[in-house]
Amino acid sequence: MAATGVLLIVDEIQPPPGLVAKGGTATPKPPETALFLALRDDGQVFAFNGHVDLGTGIQTALTQIVAEELDLRMDQLRMVLGDTGRTPNQGATIASATIQISAVPLRNAAAEARRFLLERAAALFGVPAGELRVEEGVVIAGDGNRRISYGELVRGERVELRISGKAPLKPREQYKLVGKGAPRVDIPAKATGEFSYVHDLRLPGMLHGRVIRPPYAGIDSGEFVGNSLESIDESSIAHIPGVIKVVVLRDFVGVVAEREEQAIKAARELKITWRPWTRKLPDLSNLAQALRENPSTPRKVLDKGDVDAALAAADQRMTRTYVWPYQMHGSIGPSCAVADCKADRATVWSGTQNPHLLRADLAWLLEWPEERIDVVRMEAAGCYGRNCADDVAADALLLSQAVGRPVRVQLTREQEHLWEPKGTAQLMEVDGGISADGGIVAYDFATSYPSNGAPTLALLLTGRVDPVAAVFEMGDRTSIPPYDYENMRVVINDMAPIVRASWMRGVSAMPNSFAHDSYIDELAFAAGVDPVEFRLRHLTEDERAADLIRAVAGRAGWQPRTAPQQTPPEGDVLRGRGFAYARYIHSKFPGFGAAWAAWVADVAVDRKTGEIAVTRVVVGHDAGQMINPDGVRHQIHGNVIQSTSRVLKEQVEFEDSVVAAKEWGGYPIMTFPEVPDIDVVMMPRENEPPLGSGESASVPSAAAIANAIFDATGIRFRELPITAERVREALNGPSEPVPPSPPEAAKPRKRGWKAWLGASLTGLCGVMIGMASSALPFRAEIAPVSPPSAGLWSSATIERGRQLAALGDCAVCHTVENGATNAGGRPFETPFGTVYSTNITPDPDSGIGRWSFAAFDRAMREGISRDGRHLYPAFPYTAFRNMTDDDMQALYAYMMTQQPVRSETPANTMRFPFNLRPMMAGWNTLFLNRETYKPDPQKTAEWNRGNYLVNGLGHCAACHSPRNALGAEKLGEAFLAGGTVDGWEAPALTGLSKAPKPWTEDDLFTYLRTGFSQRHGVAAGPMAAVVHELSTAPEADVRAMAVYLASLGGHVGRDAVETPAISPAPVNSANGERIFNGACQACHSDGNGPTLFGVSPSMAVNSNVHSDSPDNLARVILHGIQNPATRDLGYMPAFRDSLSDKQVADLMAYLRGRFASDKPAWTDIANVVAKARANPGTH
Amino acid sequence: MEKTIALRVNGRAVTVTAMADTPLLYILRNDLALNGPKYGCGLGECGACTVILDGVAARSCVIPLAGAEGREVVTLEGLGSSSAPHPVQQAFIEEQAAQCGYCMNGMIMTAKALLDRNQNPTMDEVRRALSGNLCRCGTHVEILRAVMRAAQLLSSPGAHHDDQPNARPDARNAIPADADPCGADGGDRRPADR
Repeated sequence: MAATGVLLIVDEIQPPPGLVAKGGTATPKPPETALFLALRDDGQVFAFNGHVDLGTGIQTALTQIVAEELDLRMDQLRMVLGDTGRTPNQGATIASATIQISAVPLRNAAAEARRFLLERAAALFGVPAGELRVEEGVVIAGDGNRRISYGELVRGERVELRISGKAPLKPREQYKLVGKGAPRVDIPAKATGEFSYVHDLRLPGMLHGRVIRPPYAGIDSGEFVGNSLESIDESSIAHIPGVIKVVVLRDFVGVVAEREEQAIKAARELKITWRPWTRKLPDLSNLAQALRENPSTPRKVLDKGDVDAALAAADQRMTRTYVWPYQMHGSIGPSCAVADCKADRATVWSGTQNPHLLRADLAWLLEWPEERIDVVRMEAAGCYGRNCADDVAADALLLSQAVGRPVRVQLTREQEHLWEPKGTAQLMEVDGGISADGGIVAYDFATSYPSNGAPTLALLLTGRVDPVAAVFEMGDRTSIPPYDYENMRVVINDMAPIVRASWMRGVSAMPNSFAHDSYIDELAFAAGVDPVEFRLRHLTEDERAADLIRAVAGRAGWQPRTAPQQTPPEGDVLRGRGFAYARYIHSKFPGFGAAWAAWVADVAVDRKTGEIAVTRVVVGHDAGQMINPDGVRHQIHGNVIQSTSRVLKEQVEFEDSVVAAKEWGGYPIMTFPEVPDIDVVMMPRENEPPLGSGESASVPSAAAIANAIFDATGIRFRELPITAERVREALNGPSEPVPPSPPEAAKPRKRGWKAWLGASLTGLCGVMIGMASSALPFRAEIAPVSPPSAGLWSSATIERGRQLAALGDCAVCHTVENGATNAGGRPFETPFGTVYSTNITPDPDSGIGRWSFAAFDRAMREGISRDGRHLYPAFPYTAFRNMTDDDMQALYAYMMTQQPVRSETPANTMRFPFNLRPMMAGWNTLFLNRETYKPDPQKTAEWNRGNYLVNGLGHCAACHSPRNALGAEKLGEAFLAGGTVDGWEAPALTGLSKAPKPWTEDDLFTYLRTGFSQRHGVAAGPMAAVVHELSTAPEADVRAMAVYLASLGGHVGRDAVETPAISPAPVNSANGERIFNGACQACHSDGNGPTLFGVSPSMAVNSNVHSDSPDNLARVILHGIQNPATRDLGYMPAFRDSLSDKQVADLMAYLRGRFASDKPAWTDIANVVAKARANPGTH
Repeated sequence: MEKTIALRVNGRAVTVTAMADTPLLYILRNDLALNGPKYGCGLGECGACTVILDGVAARSCVIPLAGAEGREVVTLEGLGSSSAPHPVQQAFIEEQAAQCGYCMNGMIMTAKALLDRNQNPTMDEVRRALSGNLCRCGTHVEILRAVMRAAQLLSSPGAHHDDQPNARPDARNAIPADADPCGADGGDRRPADR
């Protein structure tokens, strides 16, 4: 701040010590002088608050408060939040306490400034301060002809005042800003891309970093934490340009590169060996058991009456267990930070929730004093508790320190999902009962909350902090029920986390209230009293709560009820409505209350499928005075939607003792079609102190929804989430298991490359050697020629040759990924070894530049290289021999006039005896002269042209016919009956096709031309490359191929697109369904989703889903489609880094059961997936 | 292998040299300083990165640079500015359709693409069009209202949005404040309706 011309309002504050583990003692920090307000002589006013805006609009509300006290326009004030160098240390932004607590000194500071400025103006004008008024920062006396701005009043001076707490506050009745809806100050910039989130910060000279996390995903305690790295092979990323450094500090691994995509690639490809890690989590599919067995220390926070005696005397004992699942904060933007670490100072730009606590962590990490580190707080994606924001800030700092330049680190979606401290699972056990006259005898409540502050990850990974799980006392939020039970005991089982967990919106209050308000609902029905009436009778003396409950019940039109299922069902749809009430009590026990909230939830339940819709929520809220009622309403909407999502959909699952979900399919959240109608009742309490509103409306959600489902179905759900699967099972018993698959032998099996090996190798060798003598194993060289000049051929001939090359897909095999066209080098894995395609550009040395036409012709028809060597039949000369001489001439012309590219072909690595090329002579004797193409004069010219192209140049059978044990294409019925190439199934092109819709001529034409048929799907793998070539061939030729191919299947004709048939009953693959809905459906929605760039292939008709072999589907899901056949198809991302083998297998089982229910279930999918992952292929 | 690729972004011809398989998102953000599109998942699941590619909403995190070659890309910045917002942006501002705002780029761009092909969508059509866009703060109600308001702003007489972004400053009152889109038009939904 400027040395002169400024008014500063400061105060001495006691920085909060931060959260302390159970049994620990807080280290008090020395008091410090903190700045709350600065008013400059240029008219600028800054206000400072140590809390941050987590997306709730707190910046706007605080601006309203300060501008109100100072009579400023909102835009005359700049609110600075959270920067450690400038704002007071007011602790973490938690418990919705900003307005309720940390805004108080700010308001006093503004009042202090106003008093000083008015006194000054009064002296200047010679009038009493009481006769002055202020408009938009200008002090005005009398009739308005004497006026002076705030800025002018401090010109040339530096005034520093302490908050006395005695400056008069503006009376509420004079408020112009506070209590009125105010548009958020940040939204215009956010709506137009002008706003800078921390993700958007770019510093000069900034590099990009990515971290690579250890395999114990989501586990942050145990001796292996920080001790599991074995070795790193930096040479594995030597080929990636722009990599600056690999940073390794025990289990902390990061890469820094010039460009972001380089860092991404390096992080993905860096080979790291981790020590085997043997820690097994308890079985978290049985959370109640796991939490009961987790070591704990009971802490009794309430014990009144005689609970044990009362329970013993109960007429009807009601012992109940409630289970809350692990959940994710799920910020839409994975955490990001930028750090600039110099020799003696560091600045970190972060979206943290706790800038001051983060600074202390960073100082600890670097072993520096805190003063050398500044944390600049920038907004990030919404934060609902402790996510990875602090982790990534420490990551960025370490990487910046290692390279001496600013580094930006962006966590991946997968890392955020795996490593964010989870909102913990929680177990609530209630014992109680009713007496013969319906009275409540006792309420014995115990809650277990295995969660702590989740130490910043880099501290653990680098070994700066021991990986020992601390116990926090945070399970007690709203642990005391709001009902006055005569005999009541409340015990908190304090316990260490099982997996990395920390606070999440509603903390332990949401689960505790789920139990309290489900239980009282049950008591009400047991007592035969309407549940709303029952609550009012037992409410702890609290008039505001009673008013709220009545107001909400009234708005919803609550009909008293004493039994469930009083609403007549409509077909399969059951309807119900439930009530719940809660007050969020937060901070250290006994804590204090935020806003009150009550819900009436309406649900519809499909009794066949178990699907639940929360159709409407009437939510009441009493937050005292509301600084910005629009902002409060917005928070209520957000709380209702997010908590409904948590209650119905959300649960973190574990696979192999780590977090399973790495993307939104594995952890789905509520989407637009599921959003309920929300009706908000805000209680008018302008004269009461303002209360936090960021979480309260969430707290009654679970009980209200569970109570509504009870009303609809008569069944109590005491474990979340209440999914369709759980409801279906509760209503109809366990789901029918998936019908058993037919035995393996009964199913037709594709004989892939692997199957070739099944044949007797001995026999094979015998045949080949036997043939060798009689079949000219060594052929003559054809003399090299000077490369022919391009002028030799007409441009029409060359163009025809180009078209023929496209029809023959030469480039598909003879070009490597991102390589020069036709320069060869693409590897082909065969059972006989690896064959590399050759360079067929006219380079004189490494290509075919010195090949005469005779040499070219012989190679194409007989598989003999110019130098006399035999070519392997991976090169389909058995098909090319059918070409006409004219076509061969034109193709030669085109080949010889291409751009020559110098590129040596890698040596083949064939196994013995296949490395003996002369053996191929015997092969040729057996298979070269078999008839595969014969014109048929009975057929049309178009059909014959198609026949010629398919079986000649197009060599379709090379992939689409099965091969025999010697690698030759089979004929007869097996001709074009389906084969395997590069790990892909090349489906049958004949009547053996498993496609759900017949391939018509039109289908084939569109598919071959564009790579997509609405009735069959998208060309992927090698076929995408084939279509890419065909898309440049003459249309008439592609049509001819379609005519011929359609005739093979016996489905000639042009056929209209029909509506796909989808099985209505889902198989028992709920996990697969979730993944499909979250990860796939946007692009595969059958018209019920968004319109996005590219095609939207329907799974109902997809050939891969209907095939006997799951291979292609597995490959497409894992490896995506990065090189589509034609440009307008769009792209499919690869899910290999985001879905586990099990998740892919579940997804595939779901797709098969849902969209190909007439086909037998696939067996052994998990193995197929593992193989497809291990062998990505070259296309 | 690096390639130099030409495309049009927000009406400007640009060339970019980078690995051809670099997702368009990183090119827009890092090379062209267009921070409207956001990284959310890298898998096309959440919609935060949405841009308009040749007139259609597209997930820029899964489209490689090569796939944008020769095409027209429009980002959030290409619609309007805070001083002259596009009607869709205007509607989002008026309806205060953001909490953290991180998903807002995707919501606005998807809504813009929807309204370009369907000027008068029903609430169900809007819900469907946005069904692949995730919001974690729970701003859905305000977002749905904003899209309906945007449709009104765009269809009101004289609203030639390209040159008159603020054509209807009084449109704030066009939709009664209590007309909750979820209730008013979303109908009484059952699970089977989804």
